[in-house]
Amino acid sequence: MELTDRQRSNLTAALDTLLPGDEWWPAAGALGLADRVMDLASLDPSHPCMVGEALSVLPGDFAALDPDTRTSEVEGLESSQPDLFGVLQLLAYNAYYTDARVLAVVESRTGYEARPPQPLGYFLEPFDESLLEKVKARAPFWRRV
Amino acid sequence: MSGVADVLVVGAGPSGAAFSWRLARAGAKVLCLDRGYRVASEDYPTAHQDWESRRIRDFNPNPNVRRLPQDYPVDDEDSPIKPLMFCGVGGSTIMWSAANPRFHPSDFRARSLDGVADDWPLSYEELASYYDVCDRMVGVGGIAGDPANPPRPERTTPPLPLGDGGVRMARAFDRLGWHWWPVDGAIISRPYRGRSACNNCGPCEMGCPRGAKASADVTWWPEAEKAGARIMTGAAVSRITVDSRNRATGALWFDENGVERHAPARVVVLAANGLGTPRILLSSTSPRFPDGLANSSGLVGRRLMLHPVAAATAVFPENVGSYAGADAFSIFSQEFYETDAGRGFVRGYLMQVTRGQGPLITALGGFNLDVPWGTDHHRRFEELFGHVVTVAVLCEDLPDPDNRVVLSDRLTDRFGVPAPKMVYRLDENSERMIDHGLAKAEEVCREAGASEVLLTRLLPQAGFHLMGTARMGTDPGESVTDPYGFCHDVSNLGIVDGSVFVTSAGVNPTATLTALALRAADHLLNRRNLETSWN
Repeated sequence: MELTDRQRSNLTAALDTLLPGDEWWPAAGALGLADRVMDLASLDPSHPCMVGEALSVLPGDFAALDPDTRTSEVEGLESSQPDLFGVLQLLAYNAYYTDARVLAVVESRTGYEARPPQPLGYFLEPFDESLLEKVKARAPFWRRV
Repeated sequence: MSGVADVLVVGAGPSGAAFSWRLARAGAKVLCLDRGYRVASEDYPTAHQDWESRRIRDFNPNPNVRRLPQDYPVDDEDSPIKPLMFCGVGGSTIMWSAANPRFHPSDFRARSLDGVADDWPLSYEELASYYDVCDRMVGVGGIAGDPANPPRPERTTPPLPLGDGGVRMARAFDRLGWHWWPVDGAIISRPYRGRSACNNCGPCEMGCPRGAKASADVTWWPEAEKAGARIMTGAAVSRITVDSRNRATGALWFDENGVERHAPARVVVLAANGLGTPRILLSSTSPRFPDGLANSSGLVGRRLMLHPVAAATAVFPENVGSYAGADAFSIFSQEFYETDAGRGFVRGYLMQVTRGQGPLITALGGFNLDVPWGTDHHRRFEELFGHVVTVAVLCEDLPDPDNRVVLSDRLTDRFGVPAPKMVYRLDENSERMIDHGLAKAEEVCREAGASEVLLTRLLPQAGFHLMGTARMGTDPGESVTDPYGFCHDVSNLGIVDGSVFVTSAGVNPTATLTALALRAADHLLNRRNLETSWN
C-alpha cells in the first residue's frame, strides 16, 4: 500500500505518540520509520490494509494535533479497534527495536550488546555445584509406587 | 526408495526420528514423510540483525501466526491455550526450548494412587532403560542425584550456567526449604558427538545454529539416515489407507504441487503430534470406518491434554542480564509435584525458572510483562529489560473426554484437508492448582528479592505439549492403541507421539514420548521376529 502524504504524516505522528522520545531515546516517527513500518506490513497480506484502516480511524489532521490530544485519539483507537491498534503497535515496535540507532541506545542504557545473539553468544559463569549443598542433603522424596 | 517400505513413518519430529533410527538399524526399509522441510543452521535467524522481527513472523512457534506454506492452520477459537508446533525435519524440537525432564513413577499410577484419570499400561521401570538410551543420543546437560526423582545415570555434560537471576532464585528456594535442581536439558554445555557446546545465546525456541540443542535433525536423524532411513520432505499426509482385512497399506499424501500420491508400506506409524495424528485418523474415513480410522472406541481426538501454564515474573531492581542463557529454563522445583490432599487439588505441578527475552519481545510484553506505550514506555522498558526472571507453573492436566480435537468445519490446509480444531477448557482441579502454584511462585520471587512480581493465571501461547488424543491401554473399548502404541483396530498402524499419553504428568513430555517410541520400535521388532515377516 502506497501511503499518501497525509497518511505518512499521520503515521509518523502516531509512531511518535506510541514511542515518543526523551533525553536518551529517539522518537519513532522522528527516526523516519513510517516507510519501514509499511515494509514490515507488506510481509503479511492483511497488515497494509489494517494500517490504512487504523489511520482512517484517527482524525485527518492527527499530525497537527497537540501531543495530549494525539494520545487521547490513540487511546480511542486502542479501545474501539483493538485489532487495528494491535497491528499498528506490533509494526511500530518491530520497526523501532530492530533499528540500529535504537539498539545503540539499548546498549548504552542497559549494557545489552547491539548485535544478534549468534555467533558470539554470551559468557556466563559455569554452574557452581556447591549451590546444591542444601538440596543434596535432603532425603529422596519422590513418591514410591 | 522404490516399492513398498517396511515401515512408513508420518512426521519427522523426535519420536518419528527415534522410531526410524531403531528400525533402520535393525535393517528395516524406513521411509519418513514430513510436510515440512529441512532447516539448515544458516537458516536460523539468531545470527541476523532482524532475528527478533522474525520471532513474531515466520519463526513464530504458533502455526496460525507463522503461516508457512507447509503449515496447516489450527482452529483454536474454542481453546484458551493456543497451539505451538513446527513442521519439518526435527519437528517441534526445532522450536523446542529443550527442557527434558522425565515422568515420575507415580505419573504412571494416577488412578491407583489418587483415584483420578487412569493408570498407564506400563511402569516407570519399564521405560527407564529407554530414557537412558534417549539421554545418550540427545546429550543431556544436567547433574544426577536429584532427590525429587529416582536415580539416573551421570548426565552427559554439566548443567548450563544459571546466570545471576537463576542463582538468586536457587538461593530463594533454599531459604524457603523448597526443592530445586538444574533442569535436565537437552542442551549440551560441552561438545558432544560432533556438536558444539551451548554459548548461552538465549532464544532456543528460534532454533540452534550450533547444534547444542538436541533437535532431532542433529541427533536422531543423522544416525537414522546413516542406517538407511529415508526422509521425504514436502509430503503432506492426508489419510491412511487400509485393505479389506483392516490392515494399513500406506498413506495418501500431497506433494508441494498439490498432486496426491500414495506411499505403500507394510507398517504405518504416526508421529504427527497430538493434533496432527488425530487429524489424520479422523480424516481417514471409509464405509468401514465412518468415524475415522482406529476409532471404534470413539476416543480418537478425545482427552486432549495441554499443561496449563501460569507465570510469576520477578522484577529485580538490578539488571541480572536475563536475556543471556537458555531462555526457557535454568532450574526447576518439584516441591509441589506429588499429590497432597491438603492443597485442595490432586496431582501437582512443576515450577520452571525461565529467563528474559530480547528488546523487541520485552517491549511487546514477552510472556508476562506490562510495558505501556506512550510517555512511560522507555522508563518501563528500562525497568524490565534484563531485570526479569519468570517462574512458570506447569500444571498436570487431567484427561477429560470433552477436551478434544475434531475436524474444523471452517479451516483447511492448502490442499483442502480440514484443519484440526481444539475444543478445550480448564477443569476445577487445574484452576485450584494454578491458584496454589501462582501463590508459591510469587512467594519465591519475593524471597529472591524481587521489587515487583507480575502474575498471569494462564499463558495463552503455551500449547506446546499436545497429549492424550489417542490414548494407549489394554481395553479396546477404552483406548485407541495397545500398551505399545499399536492400534487395536488396525494392528499394523502404530502411534508414537504424545497422542498415546494416558495422563500428562506435570513435566515436559518430549523425553517420555521419545522413550515410548523406542519401546514401540522394539515391540515391533520382537513381533516381526515372531511373525518372521513385516506383515
